[in-house]
Amino acid sequence: MQEAKEQASARDFTSPQVLEPWTGIKKVAHEEYYTSGHRTCQGCESAQMMRLLAKAAGPRTIVVGATGCMYVANTTYYSTPWVLPWMHTQLGSAGSAATGTAAGLRALMRKGKMDKEPINVIAVCGDGGGADMGLSAISAALQHTQYNLLVMLYDNESYANTDIQISGSSPYGVNTSFSPPGKLHRIMHKHWKKNTAPMLAVGHPDCRYVATVVASNAVDTLNKVRRALSIGGPTFLHSLNPCPKGWDYDPKYSQQIGELAVETGIWPLYEIEDRKLKMYGKSQHIASGVVKRKPVSEYLLRQGRFAHFTQEDIARVQARTDEMWEKWFLPGVIALSGA
Amino acid sequence: MATGSVEIVYRGVFQKTLAKNICRGIVFAARKQGKVGIAFSRYSDSPERNGIPAKQFAVVADTDEEMEEYLSRYEPDSNDVTIVADDTLCKGIESWAWNGLQPVNRMLKAGGTLLVTSTRSANSLIRDIHRKGEPFNLAVVKGRASFSGMWVYRDDHTDMRLLGALAKVAPHIVTLDSIVAAINEPKKNDLKAASAKQAYDLVASTTVGANQGNDTVPFRFDLPGWRKMEECLVVGARKVKQEVPGWDGGYVPGRNPTYKKFTTRTLRPVINFDTCTKCTICWMQCPDTAFDITPDGYYDANMEACCGCGICEAVCPVANCVTMVNEEAFTDNQSQWRMWAKDKKTYAAWRVERISLPAVRSHGFQHLGQYAEEIANERR
Repeated sequence: MQEAKEQASARDFTSPQVLEPWTGIKKVAHEEYYTSGHRTCQGCESAQMMRLLAKAAGPRTIVVGATGCMYVANTTYYSTPWVLPWMHTQLGSAGSAATGTAAGLRALMRKGKMDKEPINVIAVCGDGGGADMGLSAISAALQHTQYNLLVMLYDNESYANTDIQISGSSPYGVNTSFSPPGKLHRIMHKHWKKNTAPMLAVGHPDCRYVATVVASNAVDTLNKVRRALSIGGPTFLHSLNPCPKGWDYDPKYSQQIGELAVETGIWPLYEIEDRKLKMYGKSQHIASGVVKRKPVSEYLLRQGRFAHFTQEDIARVQARTDEMWEKWFLPGVIALSGA
Repeated sequence: MATGSVEIVYRGVFQKTLAKNICRGIVFAARKQGKVGIAFSRYSDSPERNGIPAKQFAVVADTDEEMEEYLSRYEPDSNDVTIVADDTLCKGIESWAWNGLQPVNRMLKAGGTLLVTSTRSANSLIRDIHRKGEPFNLAVVKGRASFSGMWVYRDDHTDMRLLGALAKVAPHIVTLDSIVAAINEPKKNDLKAASAKQAYDLVASTTVGANQGNDTVPFRFDLPGWRKMEECLVVGARKVKQEVPGWDGGYVPGRNPTYKKFTTRTLRPVINFDTCTKCTICWMQCPDTAFDITPDGYYDANMEACCGCGICEAVCPVANCVTMVNEEAFTDNQSQWRMWAKDKKTYAAWRVERISLPAVRSHGFQHLGQYAEEIANERR
């Protein structure tokens, strides 16, 4: 026991944990650190993302969560499905809470009030908490390069917890409580989805790892989480989480809708490690031209939130998606083109 | 001089619009009769989640004073009629952690009526409904549970038929004439009025005697008051693994003991372990961590944790290995793997019998025009 303690204190607690990637689905650990008994919707991909996140991070992890579905649904009156220590933080403060937790742990270890060991710190926030309200706090967290932490933005493209209002991440034309299609105005939401992950990657040159993930691609997601936690410094993951409630589709198709988002090119999967961009999964095949993008109608028409779309609206989304892959400076990633 | 209250028990989000339409119909009909009416949903069910049981209420009173008096309570706890919009709710409802399994007729007053939408017979429903000390009436509106989603409504007149049937079983709350008048406002709709009238004529009611029905004791918890909670309201974490007898070498995750979620289920996966290739995808994609890893490396859907989303069926690469079956075909939550491991032949026969029962359910929007097609097929 004494020996183990000495070994632990000898370890450099300022370095991150080393989490090797899992080489295949059968190599993935059985242990669950976020389990059953959460009051989420049937087929909730955000819950699935929490599960993958916790599984990939392992037992020596602290999670802080901003207000959102993954706060309210997971902590119904003095009960929780979390195995890991989890703490709620305010809607816009996922980044600050992560920085504070990482700094606090380091101070306690330095002063000898805690065993010295690397502990993963993860902050989770929804698109409301992350892409809208908490953006500045996340930006600040990504500037604190001395701390090892991961900010995970789980994006269901609306404020889903309060019954589906528009967020900065809501896609063009979508039906929400704030943008109901009417007879005079069919399209009430005319903004394009905020491109959060590239914005943070480009704007924070010292941030060593930014990636986009989707829960339908489970093994890659697990390994992106493990990479983000191992590389050191603050890192950021943006995950698209199909939401059967707000997107209005049969919950059994959660995995398929996630796949379709990638296959149609609407949600590109990439990682940016030390400022090097690499597409992965089906997006890599799309980018290299091996696989053609599926038409966006296959994705849009499976969801009740786009049920009011006409051919004209679908064509508009298709054109913007084509532009993203054909005209952008970095296809699918950076919305700039040459003069 | 009287007050009447109706409680609607329904599947969160899937039947939210349906329940809202019923409540609105009751309130408008009451006003047609010169009464006062009010409708509201149960605060604690908000935010609603797909499939998780929720409640809305409609209260009707002769005078404003009576209404005010009635509403001076937390929620209507003794209702004249409980409308059950989906018959699988008859097995009991668990809306939140610590609620335990609440019988669907718990808030029904003695001699009240449980009005259920179902394709099943009253006798078959009594098998599921927990017994009550006092007798009550059970009325069935024949039809499938109507599910749709947040934005696109499945307008199959289930709301109108339930309103018509309500007028029959509780004429002291609303009459058929007032219901029809409410339906025709602001726009006359003969088809909807006809649906309500037809349900009024067809609905049959039977009396369920005291202590008749499902005799299992619903699970319950003692809600910890704030004095019993830990300092800073710390909630104890779950264990990483449950030790289960006879499960050596397998893995059962440590689940949240105070919220089981299985009353959310309307379909359950039935697994063919003979053709299972142990590919792990169902286990990997399950958002509710419902799959236990068995000692021999299979994936057994735990029926206490499964909420019946159907992702496992959708992602399984083996044809007919996972089949979603209507929850009405089951009376317990036993492990399918244990049944299979004990006697493979008996399990195979059981499985074939179960999956032969048609699922006859859809869980919301799949493609544009689907609801209209389904309604047209049902009419035929």
